[in-house]
Amino acid sequence: MSGYQLALQQLVDSALPTGAFAHSLGFETYVDAGVVRDEASFGVWLGAFISQSLSYSDGLAIRFLYEGVDLEELDALLSASLLPRQVREASVKMGLRLLEIGGEVFPSDELASYRELVTGGRAAGHQPLAFAVVARSLGVPLPEALAAYLFATVTSLTQNAVRAIPLGQNAGQRLLRQAADDVAAAVERIAHLTPDDFGAVTPGLEISQMRHERQRARMFMS
Amino acid sequence: MGRLELRVAVRGQRSVAVHQYHQGALRVLRPHYLDDSGQVCYVVVNPGGAYLGADLFVLDVEVGDGADLLLTTQSATKVYRTPGSFAEQRMTVRLGEGARLELMPDQLIAYREASYRQRTSIALRPSSSLVMAEVVTPGWSPDGTAFRYEQVRLRNEIRVEPDGAGGTSELLALDNLLIRPPSGDVTGVGFMEGFSHVGSLVVVDARVDQALADELHLLAAGFDALPGISLTRAVAGTSGLVLRALSNSTGELNLLLSACANLLRERWHGQGPLNLRKH
Repeated sequence: MSGYQLALQQLVDSALPTGAFAHSLGFETYVDAGVVRDEASFGVWLGAFISQSLSYSDGLAIRFLYEGVDLEELDALLSASLLPRQVREASVKMGLRLLEIGGEVFPSDELASYRELVTGGRAAGHQPLAFAVVARSLGVPLPEALAAYLFATVTSLTQNAVRAIPLGQNAGQRLLRQAADDVAAAVERIAHLTPDDFGAVTPGLEISQMRHERQRARMFMS
Repeated sequence: MGRLELRVAVRGQRSVAVHQYHQGALRVLRPHYLDDSGQVCYVVVNPGGAYLGADLFVLDVEVGDGADLLLTTQSATKVYRTPGSFAEQRMTVRLGEGARLELMPDQLIAYREASYRQRTSIALRPSSSLVMAEVVTPGWSPDGTAFRYEQVRLRNEIRVEPDGAGGTSELLALDNLLIRPPSGDVTGVGFMEGFSHVGSLVVVDARVDQALADELHLLAAGFDALPGISLTRAVAGTSGLVLRALSNSTGELNLLLSACANLLRERWHGQGPLNLRKH
């Protein structure tokens, strides 16, 4: 077993208290509209989300960090490209929690300097970057780090869907098994994206994330 | 191929061009003034009529301190087949202290087997004011099916220069729209949501706030479209908002976007609604 295995498991465990249970990242808008209403329709949304937002923003940010792109620059790129306000705030909210937890359980010089950038107002503190800084300091190779991060996000979203739609627990597990293929394909795709691809969005996902701000009754913060 | 340079500055009560250069298939019509605000209106024309494979169009626009420019096009931007290649438009915009730009081009139509990249880089000051609108149509193919193009990429990068040119600029918004029909079904959930057209409006101004975003959302709700609107981050005392809307018609999206632009023209500049009398 690699030295980082258990640390990585702790980092991506859905029990890690970053507050992921409070975010739908836009799917609640589809639930409200009756478009996402069962296992199959949530699976369609999840597939689109993995192949688009999750790949082009979070995934690419993680890869670029591993490749040595300046952290402050990547942090600003995320703040500027996550145009739906709630999604931007979600990334920072969960990122700050991860920076705080990471500082206590996986301290490293790199993590300390990210926290200093945030404290000094020079960075916002985004979730994928906080994750990537910790994972890299633990020696997790990029493809493994990417797959773990994407699947952890997918797991939180699926658990949230199980509560919100609601779906059966077994349906949730079937969705996760199916999403594993999408995650593997995303890891492959992210390796071939270019800087021009950063933050690319499809209109539907983004509009639903924006419209969530004005939804009347909602369970989630995004 | 084409290149266009335009620099606008204030002379007396009006904004005028102080530098103009064109090369190839891009030029501007003679300027006009649609009202007595001093705002100068330039219309970009592409006598070639369309963008083809490996075509590169470069536009360089500068609006000097206190100057006011309305920039539009004479007709839709049409992108035809670009086999093994892509057509590209690169636009650089610099807005000075208190400068204003309204960028209201006609719709983009990407036809069968077209690949198009548009990259717009804007540098502005905290006191500048920017409104830009854009509509992308599906470009129906001869057999009546939509979305037969290869790829449309529209990338807007907006930077704020707190200390003017030469100072450190900070990224305010990166708006990177990507539609790539061959990569899968782009018509459904998460993508076009069953609609055929997408429109965007980007506003950057120190007066942008949540109340304005709410008001524009309410205004947009009166049209036959699915709109979303959100505030960007704030940088150096200014911030922006992005409105994105899906619909089934160019006309409806144009009405929606111009209703929003007109609200801002009236409120911030005391101008009447935009009437370009082109069609």
